Amino acid sequence: MRGLSLQNLAAGYNHTLVFTDLSLAVKPKETLVIMGPSGSGKSTLLLTILGIILPQRGKIFLNEKEITSLPIEERHIGYLPQDYGLFPHLTVIDNISYGLRIRGLPSEAPARKMLSLVQLEGYEKHKIQELSGGQRQRVGLARAIAIAPDLLLLDEPLSNIDQVTKAEVAMQMKELFKKLDIPIMVITHNHEDAFFLAQHLAMMIEGKIEQTGTIQDVVKHPKTTFIKKLLMPFAQTL
Amino acid sequence: MGLLDSNRLLLVIYILAAALALFLIFTFFFQYIAAIGSIKEITAAFVTPRIVGMLWLSVASAIVTTVIAIILGVPMAYVFAMKEFSAKALVETLSVEVPQTFPPIAEGMIFLLMLGPHSPFGINIAFTFSALVIAKLFVCAPFVVSLSARRFREIKETGINLTARSLGANQFQVFRTIFLPLAARDIMAGAALCWARAMGELGGSLLFAGVIPFKTEIIPTFIATQATTLTTASLAATIIGTTASMVALVFFKRVTRRAE
Repeated sequence: MRGLSLQNLAAGYNHTLVFTDLSLAVKPKETLVIMGPSGSGKSTLLLTILGIILPQRGKIFLNEKEITSLPIEERHIGYLPQDYGLFPHLTVIDNISYGLRIRGLPSEAPARKMLSLVQLEGYEKHKIQELSGGQRQRVGLARAIAIAPDLLLLDEPLSNIDQVTKAEVAMQMKELFKKLDIPIMVITHNHEDAFFLAQHLAMMIEGKIEQTGTIQDVVKHPKTTFIKKLLMPFAQTL
Repeated sequence: MGLLDSNRLLLVIYILAAALALFLIFTFFFQYIAAIGSIKEITAAFVTPRIVGMLWLSVASAIVTTVIAIILGVPMAYVFAMKEFSAKALVETLSVEVPQTFPPIAEGMIFLLMLGPHSPFGINIAFTFSALVIAKLFVCAPFVVSLSARRFREIKETGINLTARSLGANQFQVFRTIFLPLAARDIMAGAALCWARAMGELGGSLLFAGVIPFKTEIIPTFIATQATTLTTASLAATIIGTTASMVALVFFKRVTRRAE
């Protein structure tokens, strides 16, 4: 199938496995939010998909191609870390065009297009230090999608956005996601952020995907009392 | 403790601090005070062929040492910052910390045995310009390595190297486009300290390179061997040496201040 497919994945640190038999699929145009408390293994899962941690068992497929043991730079994954990972010595436009320049591809026009997509025209020559948190996040997003990735991976993308603008930023992100024909995976521990962004929700607890489904399904029919407790604040809003 | 006792203790602390500051600063400026009485002779000594020759050798050997220290030290710093391997802590201690605390005269002795007339490897470079550079490199390169490694570790901590790789950069491209530009000032600062230390290095150079005028004689070895006989010339050499160190220090401070 097209999209991301994880098959019986087991990964961890040294000899301790964080998850042992994890299977999951995300289709193109689908936004899956993996939500779970701290220590549930969601960050390990993200690092495994990205290629920073190599799984001890199982396989990862992206658009039917196995990428399990490919180096990070060959996976073609757009990645937005929690702090956005912007390069402080480069301008906004140079940050966005980095992935294209490094591949020897034309970069100027596509980077400007990305800049316009995230509504940051006029900021080309700005230094990263001159941007607000929300603007930095958009630069990070533009840079991640500028390489036309096969998958977009976002690590707590709303955690550094202030409460006042969070809903608006989330809305802009969802609008942007609609324009992408790739699977999108978001990792978060924050239920509010999960609800802002998710189409589908996967509840990860102690290294296991306990429940997946649409938000409405998971909230209305929580599989365990723990999940019910986690999602309680949103049960009334739906 | 009463207020009076507390004030007295504070006064003692101030006096001790002032005493050490006076000792250190006065020692530095005393060379200029000593030079006042014989300013004409010292000015004349600055331009004697021997002083000019040793100044040239000192500067040239310190520059060559610094360039080699950067070429070899930056990759070493990168490896220490990025790679995990068995006995890494031991290797790092032996390569960075030990040379900085090693008695330089002992280092000179080891080089004389290793690369001197009785070298077990059949390589004899003792009493040459190369010997000067090697003796200096041993004690000076760690400055480049330690400052660069510290910065590389800070960059690695931020994780931006992994973000760069996710964008398609291989490890060498990440080194060239992320690590090097972000650590440039720290590498320069390490190089400035390396150069200043190379200008002042004595023990290893004295034993391994010797004191051959116009061949291996440098400012510190000239002062060490001629201080009691050629006083004016030695004072002139001392002023040149300390001024060069000051210039390097000012450069180092400017670079690190901008880096902050």
